[in-house]
Amino acid sequence: MGWDLLKSFLVFLLIVVGFIFILLLPREMEITHHGGLVFTADFPFTFDLFKEKVQDFIHHFQTEKGFGENKMGVPILEELQTFLQRDLHIIIPAFFLAIFFGMILGIIQFYFREKWVGRIQAFLSWIFSSIPDFFFYIGLQYILIKLVANGYLQMNLFGNDDWYSFILPMIAVTIFPMLFMMKFTSTSLENEVGQDYLRTARSKGLQRLFILKHMLWNCWPSILNQAQFVMLYILSSLPIIEKLSSYQGAGYHLLDSIFKNEDVRSLAFMLPYLVFMFATVVLSKLVKHWLVPIKSGALR
Amino acid sequence: MKILVFIKKNPLFSLGTVMFFLLVFIALFGKYLPGIDTRLDEIIFLRDENNIPFAPPFGPNERFPIGTDRLGRDLLSLIVLGARETLIVIIAIALIRYLLAIPLGFFAHKNRFGVNILLNWINGFLSYIPTIIIVILLATLHPIVLSKIRPLYLILIIAALEVGRVAEMIKLELNQLSTKEFITGGNAVGISNFRLLKKYYMPFLYGKLLVNFVGDIGKVMFLLGQLGFLGIFISHSFMQTDAGVSGFENTSLSWPTLLTDAFRDLRGAIWIPFYASLAMTYVIFTFNILSQGIQKLLK
Repeated sequence: MGWDLLKSFLVFLLIVVGFIFILLLPREMEITHHGGLVFTADFPFTFDLFKEKVQDFIHHFQTEKGFGENKMGVPILEELQTFLQRDLHIIIPAFFLAIFFGMILGIIQFYFREKWVGRIQAFLSWIFSSIPDFFFYIGLQYILIKLVANGYLQMNLFGNDDWYSFILPMIAVTIFPMLFMMKFTSTSLENEVGQDYLRTARSKGLQRLFILKHMLWNCWPSILNQAQFVMLYILSSLPIIEKLSSYQGAGYHLLDSIFKNEDVRSLAFMLPYLVFMFATVVLSKLVKHWLVPIKSGALR
Repeated sequence: MKILVFIKKNPLFSLGTVMFFLLVFIALFGKYLPGIDTRLDEIIFLRDENNIPFAPPFGPNERFPIGTDRLGRDLLSLIVLGARETLIVIIAIALIRYLLAIPLGFFAHKNRFGVNILLNWINGFLSYIPTIIIVILLATLHPIVLSKIRPLYLILIIAALEVGRVAEMIKLELNQLSTKEFITGGNAVGISNFRLLKKYYMPFLYGKLLVNFVGDIGKVMFLLGQLGFLGIFISHSFMQTDAGVSGFENTSLSWPTLLTDAFRDLRGAIWIPFYASLAMTYVIFTFNILSQGIQKLLK
């Protein structure tokens, strides 16, 4: 277990370094002023420039003893803290809701798979998982705007000032991973059907719910492996949804800083996301270890 | 009668095919449809009931069934005329991705040229970092932004980034197939690797590849939509907008370009991002239904 975690940590470090190299590829333009209104722009893209940028980057960290300040003179870590708190309001509930309800819905779907309840559920989940989250969000906004305009509802639809601001973006990023978890859980349960241990359990007269528990325990390794995907999906969609809803979180500013070529700031906003991914990997490994103390994969 | 029985047996496939042909019809012949303004006239103002002029964007009304964009161009015409470019781009991306993935998957299965390690690293990297962030970082590099064949580069980048996932899938399929006896037979006869792939492996893979390929077209549309919100399109030109300041000028009609100003439009002209993303949702839906339908059909 310890070796496994150490290996994940090393991979994580390599990925961070790889990301920094991609981030530091030269993308500045050099503008020369020739007097009057005559400008020429040059777009150098050489290895020397790349080397220089990497050295500057390391130098920046050495002199500032950290991330330093942004253009407005606010320490980057300070602004990161504010933004990250807003992000956490979305990411943590979205992640656990997606995994928890996804699994519960998956079990329900499996349990009623041959009844009409299950069929309708399968159909609905399939339709909703085909709707891209940005359309879902825009559609929801359209309805809410109509409601607000007609005076049926009073709320702020954009921004991050109200206690309920995080709910709309959170719903938008939760739906797809939740349906994915649901589908995955019910499929992996269906794969267990027909195994010998189920016949034994049934012949001993075990109740259906207890049999379900047996099956679920056999599915843990593959279900928990999906936690990383759920997190990745949430983190990929979050910046876009935050931009659409003007929710000023770390994702919003990550995109902003990438487009403004602020390398240090981009890294500061990207690092927490990478740490979230790493935490998810570690967490799912630990939970797997705790639930199924056999090496995963040895079951099959 | 036979057709009716087929439709009843394969409802998803039939629905998907109808939706797909509707899409192709609009892409090919959309400009000849009545009510489509091929010149995309920019209406500078309209007058309200008190004869007071007001500026675009105009909301949905009798003249513009789903409204206009910020320049006063009919949104329905824009979407219909943009369908062809959008479809070509997403299908091209998915096609290139699969054409690259088949040899990569085969080499990874055979464990040649270190492809296996490469695939592991690509997949590991992208399971940590959202694909969209990498696309943004690569798409804004100057050699790519300023290139004359920028659309081609971007299509290649988007296709190549997810190639690892597809190649991994193909590798697993090949690993499974390779335990079959007829493969051992082929090996025993001593045929070349290329012929082994073409005649022994591929015939068993076509079905699965087709299902995944069609499903992937929907995923590409999703990614392009997301990129549209950020102002990154497959084709546009880089221009100087002010002294020393430059930005992207939009020169194409494809759907993601309608989403550029979405975060502003959401507060006023919400019909622009709404109908543009509705069109994308239709495409994603069509290809999802089709891929499910083909899967059921092949079973």
